[in-house]
Amino acid sequence: MPKTWIDPPKVLNDAELKLVDVYNTLVKTLDESGDDLEPFERRNALKAVAALWQVMNGLDLDPGHLYDIGA
Amino acid sequence: MDRAQLSLPPTYYPEPIEPTILQRGGAMPDSPFWNKRHETMPRDELEALQVHKLRHLVEWANERVPYHAKRLSDAGVTADSIQSLDDLRRLPFMTREEWMRSQVEHPPFGPILAAPENDAIRYHMTSGTTGRTPIRVLDSMKDWEWIAEMWCYGFWGFGVRPSDTVFFAFSYGTFVGFWGAHYACEKIGCLVLPGGNMTTEARVKQIVDMKATVVCSTPTYALRMAQEAHKLGIDLANGPVKRLILSGEPAGSIPATKKLIEDQWGAVAGDTAGMTELGTIMVFECSEQPGGTHIIEPHFIEEVVDPVSAEPVGYGEQGERVVTSFGRGFIPVLRYRTRDLVVKVPADRCSCGRTLDIYEGGIVGRVDDMKLVRGTNVYPRAVEAIVREFTEVDEFQIHLYTAEGIRDEIEVLVEIPDADADANSILEKIGSELSEAHEGLRFGVRKVDNDSLPRFELKAKRLNDEREVVGGAGERKKA
Repeated sequence: MPKTWIDPPKVLNDAELKLVDVYNTLVKTLDESGDDLEPFERRNALKAVAALWQVMNGLDLDPGHLYDIGA
Repeated sequence: MDRAQLSLPPTYYPEPIEPTILQRGGAMPDSPFWNKRHETMPRDELEALQVHKLRHLVEWANERVPYHAKRLSDAGVTADSIQSLDDLRRLPFMTREEWMRSQVEHPPFGPILAAPENDAIRYHMTSGTTGRTPIRVLDSMKDWEWIAEMWCYGFWGFGVRPSDTVFFAFSYGTFVGFWGAHYACEKIGCLVLPGGNMTTEARVKQIVDMKATVVCSTPTYALRMAQEAHKLGIDLANGPVKRLILSGEPAGSIPATKKLIEDQWGAVAGDTAGMTELGTIMVFECSEQPGGTHIIEPHFIEEVVDPVSAEPVGYGEQGERVVTSFGRGFIPVLRYRTRDLVVKVPADRCSCGRTLDIYEGGIVGRVDDMKLVRGTNVYPRAVEAIVREFTEVDEFQIHLYTAEGIRDEIEVLVEIPDADADANSILEKIGSELSEAHEGLRFGVRKVDNDSLPRFELKAKRLNDEREVVGGAGERKKA
């Protein structure tokens, strides 16, 4: 029987932590201020956050989905 | 820092970016793994991760897709009730028939989308291996990045690196095929050569002219290109290509076919398999070439069940793949009956260090590929495995027909272009080996004119069933 899920005591290194922060910043910006961005700003930021989502997902950080912000 | 702390407001502000010139393949560490933690995770942690992701998937499908919510509710399944992988069996199966029917009833995509159509950036459809109605799918920007990410596990795992030049012998249409692989190679940093809308001759010439080091195609088309190169007087075996990434047909893991491809190209060939219903690959062969394909288990749960009883089968037993996918949120896929036949074996069959289980021999066939000929089961893959042992055979076709209005007959048509080859002896040997492998069933083996059999770019169709009577039980085909 597999064990049930518990948050493992996983340690991220400094570089990974920076990526997490960048991701969070991008998501927050798009969610709260997306309408204030020019098309080139918003669409390129969405591309970036879609790519960074793969890092969050690859680290199993439960990034959920991004459809509500357009990615 | 642990996970709980990661939800804190971001506090990192990067330093101003200094102008730099980034070189392809710069300082990236040359790990054999794309995501080492995922690919070498202990099995108990991997299963725990799958349970965790399954809960999220059930929660997501339940919230966003009424079609799934009803099915889950009818089965009494909630996210909270999932405690182990055993609970997966409480979820109802999805079938292709249901999916197709739902699209007919609620065109064009059926009631299965978890986000508005407007949020999608891409449409694809199945190539139609089985069934009349294609499956239509949509994906978002984030989903497409994930689709490419799965291919990255495969390409990187087979040794593709930023310094590679990758040629895609692929037509770039609505069939999803190598689209994700193309983006994966761009992500890895390779130079990508998109070989759509080209003749076979033009493709072969471009591979050589551009010094491609990796070629992606179906197994059948890899052989087709090798034939064309031979005609053009191009020596592929001493050319620049070092790796072939194969997909789209089971033949990528048939040893005889694979050896033929590797010999003709002077390169190693790695098998992959995916499906439009997932948008990407779920298995890949690593550079150790263990005779099978690793399952990307951090992103998929792959069950193997008896195709008739739907009961799980164990390691080493052949059964039908049932897939649950965590990555594509736009169309949640839970317990999808794929009709693919596989044999799962433990990860330690391979020496690469991955803890990801393996499908021995890749996709070994399709549940609906099997033909009953005078009481004997015949799988096209098994026939190919024998015919490809004979390197003199350039192309072949399996032909089923009704003799004297009543009797099933099976013959194999072969092209043997080498005028110096002893064709009669080869035909006799093929017939003998086929019969021996099929409980004594008599196979006719006939030589046909060169270039008279069809060639294929995508999925090959080498079985031509013209029987009026099928199954040897007197059942006549409906007109």
